[in-house]
Amino acid sequence: MHQAAAYAAAVPPHTYITFLALVEAIIPYTAACSAPGDVQSAGAVQFGVHEYLIWELDHNLSLWQGFYLTAVPLSAPTAELLNYGAAQFTALGYNQAPPCCAGRTGCPFADLHPADRIRVLSMLEQSDQLDLAPLPPPYRNDLGIVRYMIDFISRQTLFGNYSEWPAYGSTRLRVPTERRLECFPPGWSQVRYPGVVPGYRAFMGSVLTIERQGGGTSIVCS
Amino acid sequence: MCAAESMFDADVIVIGSGGGGAVAAKELGEAGLKVLVLEAGAWYGNKHWANPNSEHGGDWSSDYKDLDIGIYKKVFNSYENNMNDVVSGTFRFGPADRRRTPWHRIMRQKGDIWQASGVGGTTQHYWSQSPRAFPQAIDQVWPLSYRELIPYYEKAEATLPVQFSPTTPKEELFYYGAKKAGWQLNPTLNVTTPGYRPNPNAILPPNDRLMDPGCSLEELSDMEGCTLRGNCVNGCASGPSVDRIAKRSTLVSYVPLALKTGNVAIRPNSFVIKVLTSHDPKEGLRATGVQFRDTWTGEIGELTARTVIMAAGCIETPRLWLNSSLPFNEWVGRGLTNHCFDWVGGVFEEKELMRIMGLPEVYPYVGHTSGARVDIPGTGIFQVSCLSPGLMSFLTYGFSEAGYNALNPPEPGEPWNIRGRVVGPQLKELMRNYSRTMTMLLLTDDDTLYRNRVEVDPLLKDEHGPIPIVYYTPSPKTLKRRDQLARYASETLRQAGARQIIRSDTPFGFMLHLESTMRMGYVTDTNCEAFQVKRLFIADNSVHFNGIGGPNPTLTTQALATRTAEKIVAKYFS
Repeated sequence: MHQAAAYAAAVPPHTYITFLALVEAIIPYTAACSAPGDVQSAGAVQFGVHEYLIWELDHNLSLWQGFYLTAVPLSAPTAELLNYGAAQFTALGYNQAPPCCAGRTGCPFADLHPADRIRVLSMLEQSDQLDLAPLPPPYRNDLGIVRYMIDFISRQTLFGNYSEWPAYGSTRLRVPTERRLECFPPGWSQVRYPGVVPGYRAFMGSVLTIERQGGGTSIVCS
Repeated sequence: MCAAESMFDADVIVIGSGGGGAVAAKELGEAGLKVLVLEAGAWYGNKHWANPNSEHGGDWSSDYKDLDIGIYKKVFNSYENNMNDVVSGTFRFGPADRRRTPWHRIMRQKGDIWQASGVGGTTQHYWSQSPRAFPQAIDQVWPLSYRELIPYYEKAEATLPVQFSPTTPKEELFYYGAKKAGWQLNPTLNVTTPGYRPNPNAILPPNDRLMDPGCSLEELSDMEGCTLRGNCVNGCASGPSVDRIAKRSTLVSYVPLALKTGNVAIRPNSFVIKVLTSHDPKEGLRATGVQFRDTWTGEIGELTARTVIMAAGCIETPRLWLNSSLPFNEWVGRGLTNHCFDWVGGVFEEKELMRIMGLPEVYPYVGHTSGARVDIPGTGIFQVSCLSPGLMSFLTYGFSEAGYNALNPPEPGEPWNIRGRVVGPQLKELMRNYSRTMTMLLLTDDDTLYRNRVEVDPLLKDEHGPIPIVYYTPSPKTLKRRDQLARYASETLRQAGARQIIRSDTPFGFMLHLESTMRMGYVTDTNCEAFQVKRLFIADNSVHFNGIGGPNPTLTTQALATRTAEKIVAKYFS
């Protein structure tokens, strides 16, 4: 088992499944759009972006506790937040699509149809009616932190998917200085970004130029 | 050495080596003063730190010959996740040791704070826009005039140096749309009327041989001049030596010049946790030095100086004031402005681009990250700003005050087709059009409000003390101006032929241009010296009186830092 697989295997199943369901809802597999095996069909799950989010959340925060600086992993409480939101969403009868796998995953958030997962995110960041007392820290009774986190995991899913991170392959969950590119980033292939290059011969002239002579400055139009 | 000099470790200690601190250090070093600079983050491109993110390395560097382009280019590899991940990237706000977590700031709202620690500070990944303030935001508003700033603007512009951006396809398209939308060319550095112009950027002009196929791009990237590689935000690596890198972060501009004076020593990995003071019979309370923590070993050190400059940024400078128990001032940390950003993009059809430019794509990854703008004094600015795909995806489709577009689509008649986050197959389809998408950053003339602030948490601490909390809610007037900018930007995109227009409705808490948390006139005098602590100066964005009307703030900080250095020499070292 390579290091990335070992890291993922150490994550509690509920947390893992919840983040997998999150990134699947945001950037899904879309077989209908392209030929099987085409890079365009792959979604965030195929790129392992759920593991990226878990890593990011578990390496995000340290606080001084007693006499020591202590890391505070956030993936497990954030998964709890999403599942709590999903349970409230269902209890309130807000579902608009049939559940994709009701009761099978043990995670209320993952049980929902992907479109309803997005509605849960929306509910969590908008609602000041929700009782946040049952949530674990740092979310307990703190809607502001909930809003910050829903936003963070939403955008970070996109950044993980469309940056070079998936191409770190078996090294992707190492500390950043030990990650090595193992292929061309698939998210970059999806958007036809040519990657990091030394330059482009694309100079098309200058509209204005600043000229400095004798301590003075003048503007020259082309 | 006279008795007074021997009492201190230096004439001046500068806290922070970013957009302002590095400028003050260079100017003071050139004036002959002995300067020590303490920087919390790493130093990239110096022989004393060959592996800056995994080993402690040395303590100090004070020799220009220590700079090493090989180490610099090894670190600055331009990969967007490696460079700009806010949690673990090279440019995060955190310790040099990337095994550790970043330094935390509490935000109870959507958004993030895009600041970077390290020698060069946030200028390591800034886009290098270097416009002057709008005069109307200074005159009769600040306690000094725009005219007083001009010589210092000119000096900073010449030192960096600043030059107008070259045209590449995305600027060509921007100018086409701006002209059709009715904006006039504004050939000036002192903007008093609306109009478009190339960005005044701190980027060296393209090498004369860039268009010569006889010279390879690999060769060109080791020669002087911009290679239009489109990675300003991910760390510029074009140039033959550290001090001739094309994009002029202070890491490659003012820091090398400071070292050349022979009077400046810089210590990275050193987080200042307290400003030391004493009571002087004549001056009253005065700064005498600092206490700092080595971020690798945790050891605490103290250094003394005849004057101290705080240049730790708009969050850490007020935090340091508060954590040092300096005298109460109701404006410390207050009045935060941030240009209340928005982000608007347009997706183009290939045939339309062929008709306009004779090119099939926008090529958003080519040229300066941001190369052209429309300035509208009294409202703000919109500037073409295109990024690598990971950054572009989250800025355009990944975060928003408006929630999800599919759940809350725009009202009919709005100038944008999409507003808010996009998910699912629609997101994938839009991203497939990345190379035919032009995006713009909107910078709003932001009201300065007492309620917007940096304070410290009463309970939570990190290794440097109580941690900062940042609050920011724009005024109704700011939001009105921001909305107007979004309409102007959308109209320029529509006139340029965009098929779809996307407004991100960027979270108010997306912090790029923090300013005015230690305002001149409230916390400092016009020399940027603290009213309540003599010999304690401020030389970062926090000392701005306001958000300068919307223009990118770094050049104004650099002009002010140049001026402050002059004032320090005149007042305490003549």
